[in-house]
Amino acid sequence: MAGAEGFVEADNAEAIMIRIEHKTRKIESLLKQYKPVEALRTALEGTHAMTRDERCKSAHWIVVHRALMAIKDVDGMLSSLDSEYYDILMKYLYKGLSTGDRPTCEQCLRIHEKLTERAGFGCILRYLADTLNTV
Amino acid sequence: MASTLRLYLTCIRNTLEAAMCLQNFPCQEVERHNKPEVELKTSPELLLNPVLICRNEAEKCLIETSINSLRISLKVKQADELENILTKKFLRFLSMRAEAFQVLRRKPVQGYDISFLITNYHCEEMQKHKLIDFIVQFMEDIDKEISELKMSANTRGRLVATEFLKQFI
Repeated sequence: MAGAEGFVEADNAEAIMIRIEHKTRKIESLLKQYKPVEALRTALEGTHAMTRDERCKSAHWIVVHRALMAIKDVDGMLSSLDSEYYDILMKYLYKGLSTGDRPTCEQCLRIHEKLTERAGFGCILRYLADTLNTV
Repeated sequence: MASTLRLYLTCIRNTLEAAMCLQNFPCQEVERHNKPEVELKTSPELLLNPVLICRNEAEKCLIETSINSLRISLKVKQADELENILTKKFLRFLSMRAEAFQVLRRKPVQGYDISFLITNYHCEEMQKHKLIDFIVQFMEDIDKEISELKMSANTRGRLVATEFLKQFI
């Protein structure tokens, strides 16, 4: 059972890495066109395909981090982001807060406050309770 | 600078509001025992994801929750050697009197300066939002206390040095 899962993970991991590279290019082009919200939405989309592979997780994180740091207008960003992305955004915010890097933490704290106002404490609790799909 | 502090405390307050959902849960392994699961960490199904909130490289807060207990560990900003010593002494003074605080842990978690342990019994006796207010107020006051201690240590040092060196004029 674990062996079969291992195989699936390996194939999936390669496919996911390729997808992440495509996403990175798309996000870079969106950021050049000054569309940070679309960039963030693109970054958060594919992460629904949760994986246990550490490389994929760190690659995902780098992509999302790039999009997050480019956000200047937090209120605008949250109003145009669909509510289905709130949970996954919260997960990445907490990952950002655990890094300890000053500009990342400041940005994440700013977004966290506004996101909690919108999404409520349920969003935080869903992150705390989800021990299977961690980012 | 002040705004990051406000955001940091708001984030911690919101996380605590969500994480402080404690209920009584007798020990699964040993009959008639009731232990704070966050300390023992024997059964993974009883633990939630630990949360690490960093304000910058020096200050951070670790919040670990379980079904019947919650542990909050703080690392306070220490700019120089003097603040390092003052913080250690001051927080050790508080930790030794942990009985009086009820929610304080006698020894801080490894890597942190001070820790709180809140159990379901505390939540039953005391109000949840008041507990959270206490923790956040504590964090604000610690910074003020340490700066005051540092200032008074420096002032005392200056006075003593002035008096002592007068005899050589």
